Amino acid sequence: MTRYQFCRLCCLGTLLFLGGCVTATVDEMVFNEPTVSLGESTVVILGRRHASDYETEPDFIQCLAKHITSADDSVNVMPELVFMNALYPWFEPRTAPMRPSDLERLLQKEAVQLKLKDMKTEYMVWIDGNTVRTDSAGSMSCGIGPGGAGCFGFGTWSNDANYEATIWDFTDRQEVGRVSTSATGQSYMPAVVVPIPIIAPVQGTACDGLGDQLLEFFSINY
Amino acid sequence: MEAPSLGLTTIADTATTWGQVQHLTYAVKVLGVLMLTLLLSSCGVNEVVVEGRFPSPLLDKLPVTLGVYYKPEFREHEFFDEATTRGESDWVVKTGAAQVQMYNTLLEGMFERVVLLNELPRKDRVAEVGKQAVDAILVPEVNELQYSIPTHTKINVFEIWMRYRYELYSANGEQLADWTMTAYGKTPTAFLRSAEAAVNLAAVVALRDAGANFAVNFEQVPEVKLWLENTADRRATP
Repeated sequence: MTRYQFCRLCCLGTLLFLGGCVTATVDEMVFNEPTVSLGESTVVILGRRHASDYETEPDFIQCLAKHITSADDSVNVMPELVFMNALYPWFEPRTAPMRPSDLERLLQKEAVQLKLKDMKTEYMVWIDGNTVRTDSAGSMSCGIGPGGAGCFGFGTWSNDANYEATIWDFTDRQEVGRVSTSATGQSYMPAVVVPIPIIAPVQGTACDGLGDQLLEFFSINY
Repeated sequence: MEAPSLGLTTIADTATTWGQVQHLTYAVKVLGVLMLTLLLSSCGVNEVVVEGRFPSPLLDKLPVTLGVYYKPEFREHEFFDEATTRGESDWVVKTGAAQVQMYNTLLEGMFERVVLLNELPRKDRVAEVGKQAVDAILVPEVNELQYSIPTHTKINVFEIWMRYRYELYSANGEQLADWTMTAYGKTPTAFLRSAEAAVNLAAVVALRDAGANFAVNFEQVPEVKLWLENTADRRATP
């Protein structure tokens, strides 16, 4: 391998491992944190999907659950779909409680109350928000010929993630905390024969930021 | 060796060797298959038979026996989207079996007893329906449907909107209530492997929504509310 080839390989490697830049902000407002371990009680994280123009992504909810359980396995996070199926039709986009007062009304139904007791659900976290692509620029052209194929050009785009988590306490039937996070990042894709995506992990950063705050709320180890 | 009787035999005799003819024939065949594949892929029909699992509702069962009749057009419901340009494909989305599955699960969770009927209630068939001892008969149907499929949206968000019409008859075929409810479903993720899977998921979400809307609002329909009150009074009277 010549020195030139080695340098080229190093540059390529650096570009592959390089991520786009992400800036994240987290705001927290907590009223009543649990003072003891949750024990066998479960927490459920649900995405808000009642708006007509956006829906909280199911993979973001899964990311948060994974973030919390991988950091502290004593916190039992119930999968969103399992909870929604068990309480169907009360947590569907059109029927889900929007305010703690709606929760009070819902818990007056004996079947719902018994099911929640059976599932040992103590806290519910509503996640509202999404990640969107805000702008993009650049151009890229790809071609194929008898000698091979390749692309040439440069593309860039930015993503914005805004999420708010609202924590409800099932026992006291009230809101006990609110955390929000926003992240923005710029991704690039230069292409000289081979396109090299340098992706800014905007949603992942928002997930980590919000996940850490929720972990602080639910886990006594953090 | 004698060359086989192909359209290219004459050329092979005069200008090429037998090996070259074989290569040429092979190339023509491969090209033919490729062209045919391209042609079929651009003009084919994408068929989606909606499949999903629907949860049983968490409700206190209403103390009535409900007969339910699914019309053939409801059981075999499907919608067809014809391609408008050469590059697009036709779409057939078959929702019938899935919606019957969803309603069966839903109604069994909502009512004390559910009886599936094979024919529409009619006043001259009172006796037949009466034998099954039902308190009322529900007849659901798809009244209207709107959708956006991948070729329309160009993005990974597929949507289905439906309006269901429900008719409730007494056991002797008299109409008790007639109302409509809407349902909406959108693919919740943009990372599905195929457009067919995304359309399927949008349809399943719409059916879940239809079920939730029906389950939560059934007792709020004024005519249904009145019928339930009358049924309860009738039972309470010795």
